[in-house]
Amino acid sequence: MKKRMVAIVMTIAMAASLVAGCGVPKSGNDDGGSGDSGEKVFRYGTRTEPTTLDPTKANCIPDSEIQNGITEGLVRNVGGEVLPGVAKEWEVSEDGLVYTFHLNEDAKWSDGEQIKAQDFVYSWQRLMNPETAAAYAYIGEYIKNGVLVEKGKMDPSELGVAAKDDVTLEVTLEHPTSYFLKMIGVQPQFVPLRQDIVEKYGADFAADSEKNVYSGPFVLTSSKNQKWVFEPNENYWDKDSIKLDRVELSYIQNQETQLAMYENGELDFTELPKVSVEKYKDKAVQYKNGNTDYFYINCDGTNPALKNVNFRLALNYGFDRNTYNQLASEGIGAPSNVFTFRGLKGVDSDDSTYGEESKLESYPLDGDNDKAKEYLAKAEEELGMKASDITVEITTTDNDAAKKQAEVVQELWVKALGINVTINQVTYAEMLQRHRTGEFEIGWGGWVGDYDDPYTYLELFKTDCPYNNSNYSNPKVDELLEASQYETDPKKRQELLVQAEQIVLDEGAVLPQAEREVYYLIDDDVEGLVTYYVGINYDWRYVDIVK
Amino acid sequence: MRKYIFKRLVAAVLTMWVLITVVFFLVRLMPGDPFQNPKMTAEIRANMESYYGFDKPLIVQYGNYMKNLFKGDLGYSMKFTNKTVNGIIAESFPFSADLGIRALVFAVSFGLVLGIISARNRGGKLDFFCVIVAVLGTSIPDFIMGAVLQYGFGIKWGLLPVAQYQGIEYTILPACAIGFYTLASVSRIMRASMLEVASQDYIKTARSKGVSEFRITAKHQIRNAIMPVMTIMGPTVASVLTGTFVIESIFAIPGMGKYYVESVSNNDYSMVLGMTIFYGVFLIFCNLVVDVLYGVADPRVRIGER
Repeated sequence: MKKRMVAIVMTIAMAASLVAGCGVPKSGNDDGGSGDSGEKVFRYGTRTEPTTLDPTKANCIPDSEIQNGITEGLVRNVGGEVLPGVAKEWEVSEDGLVYTFHLNEDAKWSDGEQIKAQDFVYSWQRLMNPETAAAYAYIGEYIKNGVLVEKGKMDPSELGVAAKDDVTLEVTLEHPTSYFLKMIGVQPQFVPLRQDIVEKYGADFAADSEKNVYSGPFVLTSSKNQKWVFEPNENYWDKDSIKLDRVELSYIQNQETQLAMYENGELDFTELPKVSVEKYKDKAVQYKNGNTDYFYINCDGTNPALKNVNFRLALNYGFDRNTYNQLASEGIGAPSNVFTFRGLKGVDSDDSTYGEESKLESYPLDGDNDKAKEYLAKAEEELGMKASDITVEITTTDNDAAKKQAEVVQELWVKALGINVTINQVTYAEMLQRHRTGEFEIGWGGWVGDYDDPYTYLELFKTDCPYNNSNYSNPKVDELLEASQYETDPKKRQELLVQAEQIVLDEGAVLPQAEREVYYLIDDDVEGLVTYYVGINYDWRYVDIVK
Repeated sequence: MRKYIFKRLVAAVLTMWVLITVVFFLVRLMPGDPFQNPKMTAEIRANMESYYGFDKPLIVQYGNYMKNLFKGDLGYSMKFTNKTVNGIIAESFPFSADLGIRALVFAVSFGLVLGIISARNRGGKLDFFCVIVAVLGTSIPDFIMGAVLQYGFGIKWGLLPVAQYQGIEYTILPACAIGFYTLASVSRIMRASMLEVASQDYIKTARSKGVSEFRITAKHQIRNAIMPVMTIMGPTVASVLTGTFVIESIFAIPGMGKYYVESVSNNDYSMVLGMTIFYGVFLIFCNLVVDVLYGVADPRVRIGER
């Protein structure tokens, strides 16, 4: 009898546990959008989990997007427009080397303390200090002595950043950098940091929302359970411009899930999976996030054919980019025959883009098999090989999309050129390692800029660039790129960069494929979301929910 | 019994040590490294390596790791740079365990009932139905199950939330999706084992004594037939409670399933080790519990020990 009682009690307990909670913390209420409570809440998801809440160590777009809400640098880059941030005004010396920033005395940390010039000095020195081991430290190499500090050959105190007084910051650069303000306006590595807070928490600084103070329009009130909750910073100098009561960012890896949640009213914004774009064509908004897809061609590797300019040109002319885009990416993406993202800001007017102004001559988007064969014939002669004896290997990553891309390229080349193409799939980590060591022939590649300037793409073809994965080297290109770093006239500077890119294309040093396109859905009552193609994709700082 | 448990514990510690050591050296053989930023310069890479102590000989790194491990410190993740592995596990495990417990309760209770019904009606319509359920459960992959449940109950009929964990109603779909496979295997094993027991002499004896069919099943058959089910429960509990990558991804559950998969592709050495150790300890613990329960359920095991 006793046993039976125990059995019954156990059964009831087990059944009850199906319904009752098991001590998992709840994630708070969730009446988003223009919810019942009348609060203005913006809810969206990220497919990549942010890696850190420490702005110095931020190293991917999701990291930077969070920092864009909770921190503020000297200036704020809003979709390409430079607006005052902690600095209310600034001057640049005639040679373009010295920037003097005058800080806003009303700019305060979330705990009410004034944001001082020293907070920038501390932060920038921490970025370049080798002991910090910041993954993105290279971005500070523009500052005078940046490289030497980074290498540990000079004390961080000798970095070209100094506080003249509490509200005056003087920055000295290695060379005039026309995109400097735009860059520090969007890259989180340049925001101020409070030394007392960083030192108080040590390695646990910014480990969660409580272990930090915030300089930006929002503060982080929770960072638990793969969900980040932002609320307006009461001490922010421009707090009247903040319209939202809360922002909720959730890590939702699965794109279909995000879409389902959006459809169910659980999110106010979602990117669309490629396969769903057609279905939502009328409602979806399209934008380009600055990502370019291409294949590296190892110009100085073990395969002699790839060292040959004519052969590389044959590969480029024999590649039908429009067909490729249809077959490999469901037609989502803008086929591209140049390397630099065409949407970068131009120099002629506010509206024109680098792509429109550069007028580069390149391979036709549909390919040109006759021309490809001409180049191939020349290459065969120079190499003393027949096309059928030439084999190239495509090394790509181990996901299905990458496999598909490689197979389409393989098919196109085999048909157009009659060469042999093999495919080698490796992990992403191994792919990066092979890029570094040059152990590949033709390799998957993708790039997004760190600042709104062609140099952020073209430096990949500079001989001494650490990520010149093509192992391409041309003194003329080096010279043009180097000169562009010192030229202060925007038009002349752009001409130098266009010339450099033209040479790269003329020598077939890379196989451009497409610029990525993103389609997203956004609730009708959400206004003011800014999209950008450098550093961050979505800037929700100015978002409002209109009834 | 105590001596038995002690022996098992010693074996468990040894097993763990071998596991940790093997994994520690194996992860270093994976191509690539944890610093997966394509824009990283050689200088920064060197700084990162010295930050994590990779510039020291491997054996020294191993010594340091074991020293910290004794203190219960699994170190900092190399991907999620300012989070500790302990912290990540502490945050994500409750979600996975919560779902896992619900899934297990669902799977075991329904699985046993289906298995028993099936065996009692061998060859009948009910048996056929139960076998169909079992075949579907073992052959439909969990990601399809999850997507179908999500689409049907979440989107089409709007009965339950689509994803995330914000309350009890959020757990029903993922728990069912996780549990369905276990349900099917439990019911299959239970059915087979019930049928095997049914042909034993003591059942015949009971029947010839005139004991009622209900009593035979309840008292003699189930108790003996349940042993094989218990055997699979150790590893099943360990794997279900520590999270399922696909289901957690589909339902956006902040559990630990994804860290198993992604720590490897991220070459996040400390996370790979931390996850291995956590899973290993948990698995060994579950198996130990099953062994002890075995003794409770089957007196012969206890007698054999003495």
